[in-house]
Amino acid sequence: MDMLLEALTSLLTFESMLTVLIGVSAGLFIGAMPGLTATMALAMLLPFTFSMEALQGLIALGAVYMGSIYGGAFTAILINTPGTPSSIATTFDGYPMARQGRAYEALAAATIASVVGGIVGVIFLLILAPPLARLAVAFGPSEMFWVAMLGLTLVASLSSDSLLKGLLGGCIGILLSTIGVSPVGGESRFTFGYPPLQGGIELIVALIGLFVIPELLTMSAEGRGALPDGGELRKKEVSIAKIARRIFSKPANLIRSCLIGQVIAIIPGAGGNVTSLVAYNEARRFSKEPKSFGKGNVDGVVASESSNNVMVAGSMVPLLTLGIPGAPPDAIILGVLLMHGLRPGLDLFTQSGVLTNGFILSMGLAALMLLPVGLLGGRVIHRVVIRTPYYFLVPSIAMVTILGTFALRNSMLDVGIMLLLGTAGYFLRLIGIQAAPIVLGLILGGIAEQGYVQTLMAAVVDPIPWLRLVRNPLSMVLAGLVVLGAATALVPMWLARKGLLDKVDDNDSGGSS
Amino acid sequence: MILRLNTDIASGVLGLVFGAVLWFPRGDIGRLSIIFPRAILLILALISIALIVKGFIKPSGRQIEITGSPRRLATVMIGFFVWWGVVEILGFLLTTLIAFFSLTWYLARVETAVTWQRMLKWTPVILVLVGVFYLTFTEVLNVRLPSGMFF
Repeated sequence: MDMLLEALTSLLTFESMLTVLIGVSAGLFIGAMPGLTATMALAMLLPFTFSMEALQGLIALGAVYMGSIYGGAFTAILINTPGTPSSIATTFDGYPMARQGRAYEALAAATIASVVGGIVGVIFLLILAPPLARLAVAFGPSEMFWVAMLGLTLVASLSSDSLLKGLLGGCIGILLSTIGVSPVGGESRFTFGYPPLQGGIELIVALIGLFVIPELLTMSAEGRGALPDGGELRKKEVSIAKIARRIFSKPANLIRSCLIGQVIAIIPGAGGNVTSLVAYNEARRFSKEPKSFGKGNVDGVVASESSNNVMVAGSMVPLLTLGIPGAPPDAIILGVLLMHGLRPGLDLFTQSGVLTNGFILSMGLAALMLLPVGLLGGRVIHRVVIRTPYYFLVPSIAMVTILGTFALRNSMLDVGIMLLLGTAGYFLRLIGIQAAPIVLGLILGGIAEQGYVQTLMAAVVDPIPWLRLVRNPLSMVLAGLVVLGAATALVPMWLARKGLLDKVDDNDSGGSS
Repeated sequence: MILRLNTDIASGVLGLVFGAVLWFPRGDIGRLSIIFPRAILLILALISIALIVKGFIKPSGRQIEITGSPRRLATVMIGFFVWWGVVEILGFLLTTLIAFFSLTWYLARVETAVTWQRMLKWTPVILVLVGVFYLTFTEVLNVRLPSGMFF
């Protein structure tokens, strides 16, 4: 407790406050740029922290991390382009809301959810770090396979028009993830004799291509901007207090999303994109109006943004206790810790307790800072999107996406792949195959493959090798959740097809009238 | 523009073609590396066949609609690829300036005629926009953008 108070004192200085403010603002700006991820934001900041004291450097990194994850929501809502992979699920309802003229409602909901998520993540980190870290170690290959499968059940939710087309999209995404060097066998696959393809298809490249290019092509063909002309923020009609009341009056969605975010965050390798997708899926599944998801339901934005911001602090659990980065940006923070002679483990909470607690608390402060910085930043970015004529907006977004894609690996091939996937994505959308299941398959394909193949390798002497996938209790629980998840997504579809849901609706309306 | 197309059959055929492209080179790949993709390829084939069968029995959509101008769509689509293809020849800065001016001019024509005076008015905005991003990426982020023949 003394250490916590001492850490709080060291944090409440002008210098620390300024560092958090600048860090959050810079992170927000970088996160809002398609192609520039939280990992890149931290990597860019890294050289600046060399000359800083350990605590100031870590505060800056934590603030940029928090700001960039949140910043991804801006473009996700305003131009249907996730700024960071963690914001994929935010596009599902955020962009429809913006198209309906409810951009401010979506931005404010994303901000409130991000603030709550960020603070909850910090509280979790302070209280539950050691016991949760022990649980993270229990996740072996078979458990990771089931975590990926759990994420893939979302395909059923994302395919309201046609489940088969959704599954086809998911399979295409998984197969795209297998291009390049195999994670287990180490061989090159599906490169067609073209060595540069050995690096595989980078997730961000596919993400930018599949989400941005079809939107740019549609805007060009229709001769319109990203949002309807004259669309205003409608700030006066929907106040922040009203939106906050709406979110907090139904806390189940927020609590569930935060818990999902925390549990997935401590699993190394899962990352914010998986977190937000799973939280979104569960929000839809538990909602009384699942059909309104994907058409502008604010609960979808809340689920996605709260869970991905919980992940920021949540993924520090395995990092600070075991030295295992929970998400790619954590690897950079690990580097800074080691650079300052700080080794993850018990010592970090005892000998360097003030520093560690100061870093954790600074992330809470960064989460709080999201509220003013985010609401102000949201207005500025919204104004830019609304007031810029579409003939400036299309080339501007195209330029930024080309730059962002190239900067990932200094590769023009990546830009070509991005354009190719984007063009394919446009035509796939026309025949009913949406981008979201493809991206989901791409994200989870690698995790599923690694878990699946490693489990089968360990079971090489077993009479029925695949039974190893459900041998231990944790795997069984996860497999049960997958079955339950698939059933709860498929049963309503089956009922709707049989017309049974219409009868229930008719009865309900008859009863109420 | 509305085109008559059975979307289920089109999706199924596309799935089979995509699967075939990856199925044939699988012979050179070792067991550990192919075990997972092979399982997914089989699932993909089954889903594609199911879609084709569904397309004949109970099709979900018999037409697709390309909203807006197909000509503009095709031009911008080709324009993006030309932009990408020329970057390594002319360099990022010059290519992007040309592409930006061309796209702005072409898309602005939808609303009204674009005069030289109007283009001149846009010039400083485009130069600043491209210049700021170019300098940010090259000088601040240390990204080495393709320089091509010029700079």
